[in-house]
Amino acid sequence: MGAKAENGPKPPPPVSSPPPLKALVKLKTKQQELLIRAAALALIYVLAFAIRLFSVLRYESMIHEFDPYFNYRTTLFLTRNGFYEFWNWFDSESWYPLGRIIGGTLYPGLMVTAALIYRALRFLTFAVHIREVCVLTAPFFASNTTLVAYFFGKEIWDAGAGLVAAALIAICPGYISRSVAGSYDNEGVAIFALLFTFYLFVKAVNTGSLSWSLASAFGYFYMVSAWGGYVFIINLIPLYVLVLLVTGRYSMRLYVAYNCMYVLGMMLAMQIRFVGFQHVQSGEHMAAMGVFFLMQVFYFLYWVKGMLNDTKLFQSFLQITLTCAIGVGTLALGIGMASGYISPWTGRFYSLLDPTYAKDHIPIIASVSEHQPTAWSSFMFDFHILLILFPAGLYFCFKRLSDATIFIVMYGLTSMYFASVMVRLILVAAPAVCLISAIAISATIKNLTTLIRKKSKAALTVSSKATSNLKASAKALLDQSLPFQRNGAIAVLVGAFYLLSRYAIHCTWVTSEAYSSPSIVLAARGAHGGRVIFDDYREAYYWLRQNTPPDAKVMSWWDYGYQITAMGNRTVIVDNNTWNNTHIATVGRAMSSYEHEAYEIMQSLDVDYVLVVFGGLTGYSSDDINKFLWMVRIGGGVFPVIKEPDYLVNGEYRVDKGAAPKMLNCLMYKLSYYRFGEVTTEYGKPTGYDRARGVEIGNKDIKLEYLEEAFTTSNWIIRIYKVKPPKNRW
Amino acid sequence: MPLFYPGDDKGWRGQNTEDGFCGNQLSGMAKSNTNDAKVLIRSLRSAYAATPISLKIIDLYVVYTITSAVIQVVYMGIVGSFPFNSFLSGVLSCVGTAVLAVCLRIQVNKENKEFKDLPPERAFADFVLCNLVLHLVIMNFLG
Repeated sequence: MGAKAENGPKPPPPVSSPPPLKALVKLKTKQQELLIRAAALALIYVLAFAIRLFSVLRYESMIHEFDPYFNYRTTLFLTRNGFYEFWNWFDSESWYPLGRIIGGTLYPGLMVTAALIYRALRFLTFAVHIREVCVLTAPFFASNTTLVAYFFGKEIWDAGAGLVAAALIAICPGYISRSVAGSYDNEGVAIFALLFTFYLFVKAVNTGSLSWSLASAFGYFYMVSAWGGYVFIINLIPLYVLVLLVTGRYSMRLYVAYNCMYVLGMMLAMQIRFVGFQHVQSGEHMAAMGVFFLMQVFYFLYWVKGMLNDTKLFQSFLQITLTCAIGVGTLALGIGMASGYISPWTGRFYSLLDPTYAKDHIPIIASVSEHQPTAWSSFMFDFHILLILFPAGLYFCFKRLSDATIFIVMYGLTSMYFASVMVRLILVAAPAVCLISAIAISATIKNLTTLIRKKSKAALTVSSKATSNLKASAKALLDQSLPFQRNGAIAVLVGAFYLLSRYAIHCTWVTSEAYSSPSIVLAARGAHGGRVIFDDYREAYYWLRQNTPPDAKVMSWWDYGYQITAMGNRTVIVDNNTWNNTHIATVGRAMSSYEHEAYEIMQSLDVDYVLVVFGGLTGYSSDDINKFLWMVRIGGGVFPVIKEPDYLVNGEYRVDKGAAPKMLNCLMYKLSYYRFGEVTTEYGKPTGYDRARGVEIGNKDIKLEYLEEAFTTSNWIIRIYKVKPPKNRW
Repeated sequence: MPLFYPGDDKGWRGQNTEDGFCGNQLSGMAKSNTNDAKVLIRSLRSAYAATPISLKIIDLYVVYTITSAVIQVVYMGIVGSFPFNSFLSGVLSCVGTAVLAVCLRIQVNKENKEFKDLPPERAFADFVLCNLVLHLVIMNFLG
């Protein structure tokens, strides 16, 4: 039995860790197993937390990237002003002059969770800062996810598979990428909520108990409060129910689980203001409602069938009921759609089903790099051997088909599809891939070890066990026919362990090298191999905070909006919320116009400062010049004055002498390269050599008329300009 | 048991409107195929008479909640759905309790072998718990 616990790739320690050997011997096998399992789980729990701390060790305890800064700011507000203030918060510091109703346009789950943890720690007299809580929220929930994965695996397959699943998900890079310390984003808690909801639902289907179903409704509520990805749950579960209905696996347990979960989950989800009535009004949620009604029809039919003994009578009854149910259903849907009561699917939903949709219709979605279709390499990078084990796990699931394995298969397949449509959704697929791979690993290793143990024991035991384990006996029979079976099994086992250890090494390497960068502090290797830190972002934001009037309005591309409001404490025109495309397009238009045109736009928006990100000096490639074409596209999508071909030469985007004249004189170009023509950036290159794009810039003599340089950070990554007041008429 | 019968054939289950239609069509069908329908109704009635009384009480409760949901929908159709949250709370309260009651009926029904291990007391406790949560949420949502 001890072999079961050894299945995991990570837990070699548990075998050696149990304390005094004598005490262990005294325990019964069951108890020993329990002890080992608990120890392994505890270690996995710690491991999942510890591996996510690379970023804190490498840099410092800080919030990463873009969206987390908004979450951090709102959490700060929540802890300072209380829940009601938070719920009614109208934020005038973003989307100037429109403002934003924060309470009604965000998923509050993450902030409330962090605030509760903070309160609890304070209550226990731990004097922590809210920032530390925010930084460590994601790792903490990742640890909890491993526990859920264990129980989920246990529910689907057996305890061994659960343990392996917990170990796999603890270090799966696809999941780590969004849950390292400091990545204080909705996904951090949402994946936990997602898996928890699924686990509780499967449990409810297996037991047919109302309480489990109620629990899964609460899990769903937490998920809805945390992340917009809840739409995945509300579509996957009905799909699963539908598949069970079609394959003739309908059961009363399913009825109890789904209906209770749907009604209560829907009711609870409506309490989140951002979601509101969507469950009864939007097209994305209609599948669930349709299946809900279908379940009622099904139940009714079953009930009548149970009462009628005459099959012929039932057949005619079935026909009548089915035709009117389908007729009424389509009629209701048609009327709802036609009258506009049911809103059609949103662009985001379409772009998930059809990967090319966003590129043609919604540039703002397509412009985000994490919304791009996934490359093979990133699948390999994020899943490593799981990618190979996934099909094997599917095979095992199909071999032992049950309600639970059907669920995990469907979860795996659908999420894999979505992961291939959008890079970001690898995250959603990660738990499913880990669980299915765990089944493959656990089942394989179990088979192999039984094979080895059977052989080593006397052949007598085979016959006694044959009655209980048919498969094993078949294998034992096979043993006699194949030579070297035992050696082969050992070889395969060693190979499996080698693969798993490679997986562990890969995950650690990926986490430390790729996923632990805060992206707000940049690190590079210097000429002598030492690490060079570029802390320009924070430098610029602190400059804003300390040197500009408190009511100054800062215009920048939307990527930096959250950071400016959170760290710079200044009002921004647009931010990462992107709720108003026209407003963003206005900023895009200003950036891509000539200076005097841009000045008018900036005057109308009350802009005091303009902030651009420039990587030409350091070779930082994700700067505004490289994002510029998206500004043109998004601006041009609303204002046809801006035309993309004006900025291109023969369809090519360039910034050197051969660049388009409009490009060389637009506001973004001028602000990025102002006085850059005087700088020698690399030895042996002419002045004004752009290291990010590897060219000498085309316009070295830039004069600014309506703006003046206010601040440039030490590595020129952020440049801030002050908008001059209008000239005197006389 | 003529008292139970009409509800049992028509508005017995979830579909507020669908079952109404269903009943109409059934009677329409009856004209063309009177014999068949009569046999159907008769056998249904005789089969339902054998149901234990506790289940019949639950059935009555379900019929009552569905009727009140239908009344609310009709009322909404006449008056309009302005405080939409109130309308939703009302209808979902009815639909929710109906569904939960059906779940309870399934669980306490001795004929269902899937729930052999579940004592009726536990099923009832679950039912009460779910109803409690449902109505607390509805009170919050009523506005």
